[in-house]
Amino acid sequence: MSFNHRFGAVLACAVFLTLQGCAHYPVNEPLSPGQTTTPYRFNPQANSNNTDSLFVCLAFSGGGTRAAALSYGVLEKLKATRITWKGAEKSLLDEVDCISSISGGSFTAAYYGLFGDRIFQEFRDRFLDVNVQSTLIRQLFNPVNWVRLASPYFSRIDLAAEYYNDHVFEGKTFASLAEPSRRPFVILNATNMVNGERFEFTQEQFDFLVSDLNSYPVARAVAASSAFPFLLSPITLKNYPHTNFVLPKDYDMGLGDYDDNRRRYYWAKNRAIYMDDTKLPYLHLMDGGLADNIGLRPIEAAYRRTSGFIRKLMNEGKIEKFVVIVVNAHTIDTDEISDDESPPGLFTVASKTATIAMENYSVETIETMKELRTERVKAQKNIAACQKKLDQCPGATPLPKFATAIDPYVIEVNFEALKDPVRRNLFLSLPTSFSLTKEQVQTLVDVGPQLLEESPDYKDFIQELTAP
Amino acid sequence: MEYLLVHFPRSRRVLIDDEFNGRTEEVIELEAGRHMVSLGPPYDNYTPDQYTIILKDTSELEPREVSFELQS
Repeated sequence: MSFNHRFGAVLACAVFLTLQGCAHYPVNEPLSPGQTTTPYRFNPQANSNNTDSLFVCLAFSGGGTRAAALSYGVLEKLKATRITWKGAEKSLLDEVDCISSISGGSFTAAYYGLFGDRIFQEFRDRFLDVNVQSTLIRQLFNPVNWVRLASPYFSRIDLAAEYYNDHVFEGKTFASLAEPSRRPFVILNATNMVNGERFEFTQEQFDFLVSDLNSYPVARAVAASSAFPFLLSPITLKNYPHTNFVLPKDYDMGLGDYDDNRRRYYWAKNRAIYMDDTKLPYLHLMDGGLADNIGLRPIEAAYRRTSGFIRKLMNEGKIEKFVVIVVNAHTIDTDEISDDESPPGLFTVASKTATIAMENYSVETIETMKELRTERVKAQKNIAACQKKLDQCPGATPLPKFATAIDPYVIEVNFEALKDPVRRNLFLSLPTSFSLTKEQVQTLVDVGPQLLEESPDYKDFIQELTAP
Repeated sequence: MEYLLVHFPRSRRVLIDDEFNGRTEEVIELEAGRHMVSLGPPYDNYTPDQYTIILKDTSELEPREVSFELQS
């Protein structure tokens, strides 16, 4: 080999190593003591057009573009539904206070949270009708990306997050979601690979990493929420030193609750792992569906937990009607494993092991939320019934009551509710991917409103809302 | 869910685990377990300063009751 050839090879190696060394995912920033921006937490001061008295939460499930399109269709329906509440005429969408989302549903949730009604003009062209999957695959064939992907600090998910950041979310960070008085409060969910715990992109969760969420790109949170096992790599976050970290009282109390409230104890214990920042300097997040594939758990926690933002508003007497709409894009996997006598291969077993449990607890979660609703209604009825009896006793002291009697609803949008078996099977067999045809997207956008309108719980809610 | 009733001679906001979470003389619905119960401002006219309680086995008709006295 001549000198020139050797020099060229050395130069190429040097350029390769330099580029490789440069490629690094954007690291979440530490919390600064003098932070002046509004942190991304639920803001109890609603915008003037969105009351607390009608409190509406949406849960958007995972399921790729299928889930994103179904939830988009439901948003369109809520936008078109005109209501009169407390004397003001508005759309039902104006009353949406929180959205919790997983994976594909996180694209719709984050877009609406950031851009509001612009979603109805832009989202289809920017995301739903785009073959995101092939765009991401094409990026893998770009030689520049080969070099970047050779870095141990840059992987496929970072390429995907860059695409979402540049082409979908306009480079916005959580500071845009945290603008004062902005509703809805959007909770994007991923899963912590260490303990399988749900990881929320909220400042409350980032406090335990001593990190500032406001400076973090929304696109990376959405990428973490939709980092489907095997197809995409995890998103990495840095856990900063916990010097001067003040423990929330709730956490302190929860650690003593092993005998009295196991849920709260394990919540506190799962937070405790972040406190040991020398043992856990980094965490790696995967698809939110691994912990909860319908996105309802954060809403259930906000309702059930003493420190939950819904619970506090309820006890303060601010909520009169509480509505949860679960948009569940669940499908049924075509079973090909059972066709063969020989057991499935290593890849199939690994893939199934990682994803088979994703739907296991969805039904249970919805039923738990319904039971909480029933429990509250029964408690209110019991107090009212006993008071009625007491009213017959002269001089009896009135019973203490709740701050307000709440009218709660849990509504589910689910393909299973379609009465026509052919249509039902058509939707239930749609794939989970980021590449659906425009026709498939349109049918999903159309079926969301239909399923919502036909839901008996939604009918009850609308009837009660419009009753004189 | 568990239930708490806080007595005080005046209507006052209630602090549970350092956060506002209901008012005195109203049934407050909470999760089970340990809670620190105190009152909202003014902070210098009631006694005791706080209670640490364990909420369990209550009902809406038989809530756990705690009382604060007015201190002049």
